[in-house]
Formats: sequence, C-alpha cells, structure tokens
Amino acid sequence: MAENEIAIEVRDITKSFKVYLDKGSQLKERLLFRKRSRYEERKVLRGISFTVKKGEAIGLIGHNGCGKSTTLKLLTRIMYPDSGTIKLKGRVSSLIELGAGFHPDMSGRENIYTNAAIFGLNKKEIDSRIQSIIEFSELADFIDNPVRTYSSGMYMRLAFSVAINVDADILLIDEILAVGDANFQSKCFNKLREIKAQGTTIVIVSHSLGQIEQICDRSIWIHEGLIRAEGPPKEIDLEYLDYMSRKLQDSNKKNAEAEAADSEEPVENKQGKRWGSGEARIKRIRSFAADGTEQSVFRTGEDIRLTVEYNVKKPVRDAVIGFGIFDMNGVQCYGTNTRIDKLPEFELTEGGTAEVTLKNVQLISGEYMIDIAIEQGEGIPVDYYRQAYKIQMISAYGDSGIARVDHSWKLQR
Amino acid sequence: MSTIKELYDYRQMIFSLVKKDLRGRYKGSVLGFLWTFINPLFQLIVYTIVFSKILRNDIPRYYLYLFVALIPWIFFSSSITVGAASIVAQKDLIKKIYFPRMVIPISYVTSCFVNMLLCFIVIFAVIIVTGAGINFLAVLTLPIIMIVEYVLALGMAMMTSAITVYFRDLEHILGIVAMAWMYLTPVVYSKSIVPERYLPLFNLNPMTHIIDCYRTVLYDKRVPDLTTLLWAAGLGVFFLIVGALVFNRLQKHFAEEL
Repeated sequence: MAENEIAIEVRDITKSFKVYLDKGSQLKERLLFRKRSRYEERKVLRGISFTVKKGEAIGLIGHNGCGKSTTLKLLTRIMYPDSGTIKLKGRVSSLIELGAGFHPDMSGRENIYTNAAIFGLNKKEIDSRIQSIIEFSELADFIDNPVRTYSSGMYMRLAFSVAINVDADILLIDEILAVGDANFQSKCFNKLREIKAQGTTIVIVSHSLGQIEQICDRSIWIHEGLIRAEGPPKEIDLEYLDYMSRKLQDSNKKNAEAEAADSEEPVENKQGKRWGSGEARIKRIRSFAADGTEQSVFRTGEDIRLTVEYNVKKPVRDAVIGFGIFDMNGVQCYGTNTRIDKLPEFELTEGGTAEVTLKNVQLISGEYMIDIAIEQGEGIPVDYYRQAYKIQMISAYGDSGIARVDHSWKLQR
Repeated sequence: MSTIKELYDYRQMIFSLVKKDLRGRYKGSVLGFLWTFINPLFQLIVYTIVFSKILRNDIPRYYLYLFVALIPWIFFSSSITVGAASIVAQKDLIKKIYFPRMVIPISYVTSCFVNMLLCFIVIFAVIIVTGAGINFLAVLTLPIIMIVEYVLALGMAMMTSAITVYFRDLEHILGIVAMAWMYLTPVVYSKSIVPERYLPLFNLNPMTHIIDCYRTVLYDKRVPDLTTLLWAAGLGVFFLIVGALVFNRLQKHFAEEL
C-alpha cells in the first residue's frame, strides 16, 4: 500500500440535465405532441477534475445548485457523467439517502440485513457486524420491533449505524451529520474520525463549514460547475464565506429596496407582529458595520451599529427604546432597553433616529431576528415591533450554542 | 465479466429482495400465501372447462396436459409483464443508492421462479393423486428445462424493465402481447394441430420448445428431445445476452428518467 495511492480520480467530468418543459413519457403524448416535449439543457458540471489520495478527507463546498451534490451523485454511480471519467478504488459506501430500502413492517434487525445487503455485504459479513451496528445505534431494546414503530430519530440512527459500519474504502457523505440528538451527533463525528484514521477516504458535501474544517484535509469550492478554489479548509472556507457574505448583502439590499418601494411605512400589525398605542412609529431600521458600510451580514466578533428611525404623532413622555435579539427558534439571545441600561428617560417630540452599537458580537453563525420597541414609562407599548429586522451572522468556527463564550485552553501533561 | 462478479458480491441483496417480495406479496390478505396456488388453480379450472367441455378435444387427462404447461407459462408471462414494471417500482432505491441495477430484474424473476417451484409441488400432488404416474429418469431433466426457462425469462425481463423506464406504455402493451403470445404458444392446445406452414414461426418462439419439454417430461413421461432442448437453450441464452446488453446501455440514465 503506497502512501500516495490514489483512491478517487475524477477527470474532466461534465453533466447536464434535460429540464423538460412538458414531458410526455406515454406513447400518445410522444406521438401527438412531439414538438411539445421541448427541453432546456442545463449544464450543471462544466469540467471538474480532482484526485483524492487514499485516507484523505475532502469537503465539497459551494452555494445551492453549484453542482456539488451532483458531483457526489456521480461519485456514487447513481448517475453517470456525460463526458469524462471517474475511477474509484475499493468498496464505496454512501451516507446520502439514509435508510434506502427500509421496510416499515420488518424489524430493525431484518432491516439491518436488507440495508447492508444493498451496500453489497454478504450474510457472513453482516453477521460479523450486526453486533457493532446494534450497539452503535443504541437501539438494542427495540431492535426486534418493526421499524414503523420507531421515531424518526431512531430510524436515522439505525440507518446511519448500518451505513457507517459497512467498512467501506470510500465514504461519501451528503449533509447528514444532523442525525439524532447532540450526543449521537458527536458520536457519529468521532466514528468518522476513527474511520478516517483507519485509512478510509472520505468525501463530504456540507453547508456546515465547521464540520468540514474539523474533518477534512482539503476543501474544494465548486462554483457554477467549475472548481473555483481548492486548498486547506481554513483558507478556502474563509474565501468562500467572504464571497457569500458579499453576495448576500447584495441580495438583501435589493430586497430592502423593493420593500421600501412597496410602502413607506411598515404595514400596521402585520400578522400580529406589531402593537402599541401608535403615538410614535418606527419607520426604518438599518444596520452598519464598524467602517460605516450598510450591511446585514456580520462575522462573529464584529461590531454592529443599529439605527432606528421613527416618526412621532403625539409626544411621548418618559420614552424607553429597547431591542431584543432572537435566534430562528425564537430563543431570546439578548435583550435590553434604555431603562435597564439606566439612561435617563426622555421625551419624544418629533421624528428622529436612535442608534445603538453592539460591540464585539459573539453570536454564532445563523440568522437572527431583532425586535425593536418604543415604550412609555413602566412598559406601556407605544410601538412594539416584533421581528422587525433580520441580521445574519457568519463564522468560520464550528462551535455550537447561542453565543461564543470567550475561552482559552491549557492542557497539562 | 466484472458485472457478473459484482452481481455475485450483491447476492445477499438479491436474496433479501426475493424474500421481501415473497413475504410481502400477499401481506394483509386473509388467505395469504395460499393465493400462490389458488390463482393458477382457478385459471386451470376455467381453461379446462372451456377447452375440454365446451370446445372439446380428444386429449386424455386434459387438465394435467394443460396444468404442466400453464404453470411454466404463468411464470414466464408474469416475468415479462409485471417484471417490466420492476425498475419503475423500485425507483426510490435507484434514485438514492448505488447497486448493480440488474439486481432488480434478477430478484423479481427469481421470486416468480420460486413461486413456480411451489406450484410444482401441486403438480406433483395432482400427478400422484390421479395416478398418472411419473418417469423418474425424465423428471431428472426437469431442472435443466427450468433453468433454460429462467434464463429466457430473465433476458426478457431485463429488456422490458429497462425499456419501460423510458417508455411507460410498454407495461400496458405487454399485457396484450403476453395474451397473444400465450395463444401463439401451444399451451392450451397441442403443437401437432398447428398447420404445417405456420410451424417455422412456432419454432422460432422459444416458449414453444420449453413448454414442449415440460409436457414431454410430465405428461408423456419421456426424456425430452435433445434438439428441442438445445433449441430452447440456444434461444434462451440469445435473449439473455440481448437483454443484458440492452439493460446495460439503458441503465445509465435510470436515475434521471425516474
């Protein structure tokens, strides 16, 4: 076994799909509407080449529709390229569609046999693995019950356990490390590391750059059917993030402009998201980076400056302005207002702008909704605007939780 | 060659698909597995009444004459008609995961084959109960005939299942074809009443020879003619090769067409 043995060799593959505008696969339709079965040819891959050494782990990254999943499907041989060649050495297992061929009426144990057989294992090989599969799935108590009685988490755990215990030479993974609870996920992750250490070649497609950075030796960024960059995950991922954040800002800006053109003022009480006496109204919310450019995508650790423009119909005495940050599950990450922060109460008499700068924001990557509220005195809502604004955080770390807690490690030997 | 090796590696998958099919086929029905026998028995009763009581013929023990041909015929016709839909029926599997696609027609035809073997138990029971008698030496050739028929059915199923993916009407067309084919094969009648000038055409039909062999062994109690058997085997292998070639060519785009 040479050190530099090549496990996967992909040479100049192209693939296009026919997108039928109106496809008839019946005889009648074929004959009668021959002209109608027009299609558009969509080139998904325009010539991709790469090689993966044995025992190496690579991550394919890129935005939706860039061709990374298609590349993976070609590697599994579910589909074939239009031109170019793919050479794979050894047994291939894929964690792409978990639980293919599971039969709901059969027991977990029987399904292990069926499913493993689909990966090309024979009975003897399955017999020797069944114990470790059941153990890994943590389903020993339920293994003889029909699979239809399983929860979806149990189902995925069983499927994952089979696929990962195939002992493949090449393992192809598509976005599946979202299996089960956090405990099981970290177990899967450890198992992947173990498998990698045993010399299995791994190809991962994922949106979670953190996962890729933790496992992969190399990232390949596929952009519009071509390889745009390739190299160590830390560098490539950052380059990719940078590109994505710029793109996101462009589209957000466009959306915002479109929205602004729609209505000068946010629609009143949109889906119960807004309430209050209405003496003062929030007119516009904007966010800026430290250097003053307007943007709504920020990196973890950046400063965010929020500005709130408002109108006043009737003066509001003892006014309080506050904000709350919520993650997409509705969990409040932070919230405060001018009273909590012990600012003197003030009176709103005419329209103006309030500004708050959030320093060194340590929220982990994801989207966050911001509530803005103008209140009077001890919490009488004047204009409470729920989910008034959206920001997105991006981060190259793969940590989890709500916010990054600053930390440092010291390991003693 | 590499295809054969790969199929051998996936033998467990074939076994488990066959098992799943046999177990799942009559699931939920009251009579369950008995339907395997009831279906052909009723066909046998209907054909026997029509062709021996109404249309009349002078073939002694016509029910047995028909039975030993009908069971192999049902195997063949279900292999090509229902087998044609086998790839489409397994589209979830095909779109999701790699395995040699031939596994599917193979396992489908094999499960039909197992059904036929089970029906042969009934045939032997009928032979024994009615005292028709058995020639043991002749029966020894039965497995060869069965294998030849299996090879032929597999070749046809590969072809029909692969083409059906691209052309779904085939599944329905085959229903008609199978019916016509049955009447163009000496199943309900004897080859000897076929007019001389049509005989070359009948001889091209591989099923003519196969049915002929079954009948020779189980009804006439003789060892089948070697030429008949060779004809059948030759045509069977020919169809298998053509079927495999067609299948291999068409399978590359299964995932996209389904």
